Amino acid sequence: MEKTLKMIQSVSSSCTKIDAADVMVSVDKKDLHKVCEALYKDGWDYLINLTAVDNVENIEIVYHISKSSDMEKFMVLKTNTTDVENPIIETVSDIWKSANLYEREAYDFFGVRFLNHPDMRRLFLRPDWVGYPLRKNYDNTPNEGIPSKVHDMDACEDVPSITLDRHGEIVENHTKLFGRNEYVVNFGPQHPSTHGVLHLRVSLEGETIKKIDPNFGYIHRGIEKMMESMTYPQMLFLTERLDYLCGSMNRHALCMCVEKAMGLEIPKRAEYIRTIFDELNRIASHLIGWACMCNDMGSITAFIYGMRDREKIMDIFQETAGGRLMTNYYVIGGVAQDIHPNFVNRVKEFIPYLRKMIKEYHTLFTGNPIARGRMINCGLLKKEDAIALGMSGPNGRASGWHCDVRKIAPYAAYSEVDFKEILHDGGDTIDRYMIRLEEIEESLKIIEQLIDKIPEGDFRAKVPAIVKVPAGEYYQRVENARGDFGVYLKSTGDKSPYRIKFRSPSMVAVSGLDPICRDTKIADLIMIGGSLDYVIPCIDR
Amino acid sequence: MLEVGGILSWIHEALSSSCPEWLTLLIEYVLIGVGFLALYALIALILILLERKVCAYYQCRLGPMRAGFWGLLQPFADMIKILMKEIIPLLKNDKFLFFTALFLVIIGSLCTFGALQFSKDLVGIDFNVGVFYVLAISSLGVLGILLAGWSSNNKYTMIGAMRAGAQLVSYELSSGLSLLTIVILGGTMQLSGLIEAQSETWFLFQTPFTWIAMVIYLIAGHAETNRGPFDLPEAESELTAGYHIEYSGITFGLFYVGEYVNMFTIAGIGTMVFLGGWQPFHINAEWAAGFNGVMDMIPTWLWFFAKAFGLVMLSLWVRWSFPRLRIDQLLHLEWKILMPISLLNMLLMALWVTVLVPLFA
Amino acid sequence: MKKYIKDLFSGIYALLQGMYITNLNFWRPKVTEQYPEDRQTARQFERFRGELVFDMNDQNEHKCIACGLCARNCPNQSLEVITKSITTEDGKTKKVLDKFLYDLGSCTFCSVCTQSCAQKAIKWTNNFEHAVFNRSALVKQLNPEGSKAIERKPAVAAPKAAPAAGQNENQQ
Repeated sequence: MEKTLKMIQSVSSSCTKIDAADVMVSVDKKDLHKVCEALYKDGWDYLINLTAVDNVENIEIVYHISKSSDMEKFMVLKTNTTDVENPIIETVSDIWKSANLYEREAYDFFGVRFLNHPDMRRLFLRPDWVGYPLRKNYDNTPNEGIPSKVHDMDACEDVPSITLDRHGEIVENHTKLFGRNEYVVNFGPQHPSTHGVLHLRVSLEGETIKKIDPNFGYIHRGIEKMMESMTYPQMLFLTERLDYLCGSMNRHALCMCVEKAMGLEIPKRAEYIRTIFDELNRIASHLIGWACMCNDMGSITAFIYGMRDREKIMDIFQETAGGRLMTNYYVIGGVAQDIHPNFVNRVKEFIPYLRKMIKEYHTLFTGNPIARGRMINCGLLKKEDAIALGMSGPNGRASGWHCDVRKIAPYAAYSEVDFKEILHDGGDTIDRYMIRLEEIEESLKIIEQLIDKIPEGDFRAKVPAIVKVPAGEYYQRVENARGDFGVYLKSTGDKSPYRIKFRSPSMVAVSGLDPICRDTKIADLIMIGGSLDYVIPCIDR
Repeated sequence: MLEVGGILSWIHEALSSSCPEWLTLLIEYVLIGVGFLALYALIALILILLERKVCAYYQCRLGPMRAGFWGLLQPFADMIKILMKEIIPLLKNDKFLFFTALFLVIIGSLCTFGALQFSKDLVGIDFNVGVFYVLAISSLGVLGILLAGWSSNNKYTMIGAMRAGAQLVSYELSSGLSLLTIVILGGTMQLSGLIEAQSETWFLFQTPFTWIAMVIYLIAGHAETNRGPFDLPEAESELTAGYHIEYSGITFGLFYVGEYVNMFTIAGIGTMVFLGGWQPFHINAEWAAGFNGVMDMIPTWLWFFAKAFGLVMLSLWVRWSFPRLRIDQLLHLEWKILMPISLLNMLLMALWVTVLVPLFA
Repeated sequence: MKKYIKDLFSGIYALLQGMYITNLNFWRPKVTEQYPEDRQTARQFERFRGELVFDMNDQNEHKCIACGLCARNCPNQSLEVITKSITTEDGKTKKVLDKFLYDLGSCTFCSVCTQSCAQKAIKWTNNFEHAVFNRSALVKQLNPEGSKAIERKPAVAAPKAAPAAGQNENQQ
């Protein structure tokens, strides 16, 4: 880390180290691109997250960067611009591909325009939206600044970008997203297999896909903005509405973030219960992922089988936590209630049942020559691309990228269990398909190891009546079923956060659709979409 | 006996004794027409219920349970609902072709249905080129589907129609070739003649090549009905509903009914050509005379429907077990696997009939 | 050619195996729950959060002291505590509960209210049949007419519910 710091300092004189514990470096915006390039050359090739923060007097961009070969460490790079009226910062999307969407998001919500970014459209909001909602001075009276309808559909096709001309002046360029003669088909927002309200505009040539433009924001609820006005216990329930298929894990991330910031010690019992719940949730999510992918490929029977077996997990959740998808089980300091007396037995019954069912899944679907013929050598994602796109989780592991946060930075009880991180090296659809079923088995192993060893004791630590997080910035990663889920929390010491941002593994998965699906068929797009297993509410926070 | 022939001849006699000949014929034609339409609708309803129930059972569900006992009235409820639904007019499409397409599909399906021979006496059309007729008239549906996709003025229907065109035209080949294999064996194109030739032993048990022909026919026929792993034209997870997205109410209902009856028609033709149609199962041996007698007791229409529904069940089983093919896999399967095999099969069958059989006779 | 034939037969074998699995499930007991018919026997989990109710005793008394903590902690403002002042026998004015309004329509069942209630006055029931024809019918008054808070002896004026092990108390 010291070496990296020295390296950055040699590139940029403006670099200052802010925090002693984590490596948190502030860079002048002039030197940003240079520093990032140097970092990239040094092996920092994985941009975890990019967050914009409105500090009123300036707008700050926070980069969380990591090395794909050594994900345990990550550094926080910061830059800011004091020009609040017209903030312009140089893009890093030419260095890290994953920055593309993150920067569009920052533009959408904070009005930060990125120099040389190829596509400075809004990401979630409509092109004619007035104002930048996550700014602190945004007027959020209802129906203010929202035009009734888009009058000019061409506005949606218009791609602005800003570059510097020869004299160093900023010029705005406009290009069209699709050519006049392209056969553009809208997949979504109401489409049976976009896994939510995702809108893909697909340029076709016959059956072959030429270009995909994802379009988000149909169910954007402004969760990050809402949370800024909520207390910490209040906002927990919103995390489960992000990625509803792994709600517990998202909630775990926020709980851990707050707990670590407050320096709370979590009882062992709570940690064990949380780990078991996380793994059950992962199984449920992977079952749905598998089932939906089969459904996308036309095998509705397999879909129903997946749903049938997931129902058993939902029952276990409901018995202990009282909720099915939205378990509302984790609270700051532990879990809300002790486990139900039946919990252990039910889980123990479930494990052998699911093992048997997974064998059936393999016979029914994995072995099927039609399915194999469709999946093998289709939708190739190379390891480098996965890292560049930031596509962590099962999708990254299918490409051979060791990126399991449970292994890299163990949290809860993961350091105490013995499990394997499943790695495939093909990176095609069948690898992404297989990895989910294999991870279910690994999760079963984890649960098996923990279920008998849940320690006695409190299930919840003593928490102050009013939860206040000390001033500072915190970042907590967890491995949710779709990948590296992160919470960035900036607190001013108040009882609600100053800025909160979630790293959505689904968003990077969707951003990978275009490079993966080029020159495949329509049917492959649907299948690859299923194999990437994205959940749209996680994108449309 | 439970044969329908007696009733039919009784009606005929009653009519001809009281009416002049032309009136008798007219009334009989109308009666037959109405009867066929009623049977057509009834089979569609049965199949819809069967499909929903069987699919549910394969998926560990119960299926419709609320309309009538065990959900038996569900298709009637569906029918009433769909009849009451609005036919939503489209703004910018070719209205004439839009509705012509529908009728082409339904006429194609109905005319093929008419060629089925339900029992010894219940025969609609029986040309001397029956097989040829069936092949020709069933292709009318392709035209309808293509037109439907084109005239809806929608990108999804367009893709669906193009897929349907490619698929149906290809699979027509193998199903035609496998039927021709049987024509070689039976020595006639007349469907009643083919069934007559199976009175001792069904074609299925006459030569090994019939087995191959039957498997290929069932695969190709399954593909022609746009079902199962071959439902690309309407691939609901890809094209939402394919060529019939823009059809609503009963216009959609007719596509739906047409598709289901096509499934039955394919099974029916398969029954007639490979499984002896309405012919009972006989064991061609001295000692089995008693057994054959028992088999003869079962009415012939029951034989036909049992066999046809057996094939329908097989097709449902396949449909609910497999994922959908991709368009290139689909064409690969037809042109590189089914077509060469069925050509070879036909050649072998011709050799069997012309060389081997006379040699041993 | 040999591979072609081998692929063909292994493909057919795998397809038949898939059909075997669906056939297996054809004969298995079905998992469908026939909801309106099995209302009485349907599995219910006692912790299921269906609807918020007051924990009443048989004398038509509740435990709410109208502190308003739940309403303040609710993320969606779906609780409203309306208080009134009454004069007790010994001449003191006292703030008691008038109406406790619960808007089921905006409730997210997050349990923050029940966790923050120090008196354990509100709890969840399993009732999940909430459908009504009018949205205003979803706003429910939780304290029945004529009910009153449990009289507490003056000695325990500020009762503390004995904190259960590990239970968080959001008392202020």
